[in-house]
Amino acid sequence: MHLCEKCTKPATVHLTEISNGKRSEIHLCDSCAQEAGYVQQSHTPINELLNQFLKAHAQVSEPQAPRCSDCGMTWQEFKDTSLLGCPKDYEVFESQLKGVIEQAQQGATHHTGKSPKVATAAHLAGGSGAVAESPAGVAAGEGAEPDDPVKLRQAELARLRHELALAVQKESYEQAAKLRDQIKALERQAG
Amino acid sequence: MNIDDLTRQTGEWMAGSGPEREIVVSSRVRLARNLAEYPFSTKATRTQRAELHRKCRERLLGLGIGGGEGGKDRSVFYVDMDKTDEIDRQLLVERHLISRQHAAGDGARGVAISPDEVVSVMVNEEDHLRLQVMRSGLQLKAAWQEADRLDDLLQETMEYAFNNRWGYLTACPTNLGTGLRVSVMLHLPALKLTGEIEKVFRAAKDMHLAVRGLYGEGTEAIGDFYQISNQTTLGRSEQEILNEFNDVIIPRIIQTEMAARQVLENEQPLALDDKIGRAIGALTNARLLTSEETLFYLSHLRLGVVLGRISGLDLQTINQLFLQTQPAHLQKALGKTLDGEARKAARADFVRAKLKKTT
Repeated sequence: MHLCEKCTKPATVHLTEISNGKRSEIHLCDSCAQEAGYVQQSHTPINELLNQFLKAHAQVSEPQAPRCSDCGMTWQEFKDTSLLGCPKDYEVFESQLKGVIEQAQQGATHHTGKSPKVATAAHLAGGSGAVAESPAGVAAGEGAEPDDPVKLRQAELARLRHELALAVQKESYEQAAKLRDQIKALERQAG
Repeated sequence: MNIDDLTRQTGEWMAGSGPEREIVVSSRVRLARNLAEYPFSTKATRTQRAELHRKCRERLLGLGIGGGEGGKDRSVFYVDMDKTDEIDRQLLVERHLISRQHAAGDGARGVAISPDEVVSVMVNEEDHLRLQVMRSGLQLKAAWQEADRLDDLLQETMEYAFNNRWGYLTACPTNLGTGLRVSVMLHLPALKLTGEIEKVFRAAKDMHLAVRGLYGEGTEAIGDFYQISNQTTLGRSEQEILNEFNDVIIPRIIQTEMAARQVLENEQPLALDDKIGRAIGALTNARLLTSEETLFYLSHLRLGVVLGRISGLDLQTINQLFLQTQPAHLQKALGKTLDGEARKAARADFVRAKLKKTT
């Protein structure tokens, strides 16, 4: 056990100083350490200390809230207004939005129904909620032929998703699993 | 065509001519759409909003929209909200051509309207585009066909914000997926008189339907008029949503109201005629009428006409009275702004004159 270098009481403060590459150790008792200005007298009430601890802890455990790089939207802003800022927000806030959407939409998790006839890379990205970054420039009517593979695939996907929803409703999970695999395979094809 | 022309005509949905017209005033289908290359309205800059507005206006003016039966005019006219005064904006709200939110908003925004008032497309409302098709009576399928056709035409030259998982992306997730809101305006006076209306509300709530007043979100039901609409837009196809409304929900409500009307006629004919008689008495004699009071009496008058207990009046006249006694319509007809008290007097004068002519 080290003793205080000034008064030889048991040392409670141990400092290691490195200056000009030389390492030196200092051992002091409480009162001598305060006198020397190494330690500030503790007047901080316990609840203040606790608050500071909790605040510091919260900052550590909660990762930086996401912000959309396109429109600057934050989750807090959405919670205040119920309005999103741009199509990309569905991707940026996907994990938070999932619950909100399920609650607002009677548990629905996928779109069934009409899709734009002019298919673009954006539409095919699906799943993750990606949205095209390129401006609209797709020629009118093109790709809208009935035998268009893109359109057929979209229709097939819509049909499978609908069947999946029905299977889940009927609790036929074996069928649901098969459908899910088919959907995944089609989505992979779509790239 | 312009806003002044509107006041001189009766829009298709007010004709009082569609199927189930005794109970269903009108059917409306609305699609929410956004363009992929712009932020939603809340985050769009002034320049972006103006650019989007210009682009959409140009595109909409080039479209032939509306009912167009019998070679009717389908050319669109466009109203720039920024260049339109408050009374005219209010007039468009009263005719259900724009939302109250759109009238009160600011910045570059507008609405494209078909001459028969069947179609209106709001630009830069909560979503970039809000396509609406409205028809008289229960005509949801016809309304949907027109909305679907128009939507197809628009997306040929505009890339919509869409992805396979969430469907059409909208500013508020409550419109996500199909972006489809179906609403039917119903006149349910007998259910109100027999006190059974609460049952309808409860059933609607259980089916995740919204029940609102005459002017949509946040408005109270006045004069026994109720708008019933779907709340879920994701997870079911347009056809499923429409079929459920057209073939199940609305027919069931119609049936209940019909039954209630029959009960009133069979069991309380005196009380029924008393209600109708009081309505006629007030409307043909009052010197001051509030808008709420007018709707209340017109509702009973409408019931009397439909049940054949009053002669010499038709549904179209009553629908016109509903519209023409609204504040902006009154002021427009008189060509001056009126305060609340002056409006009450003007309204009573207008109703008396109109009913004297027809009864």
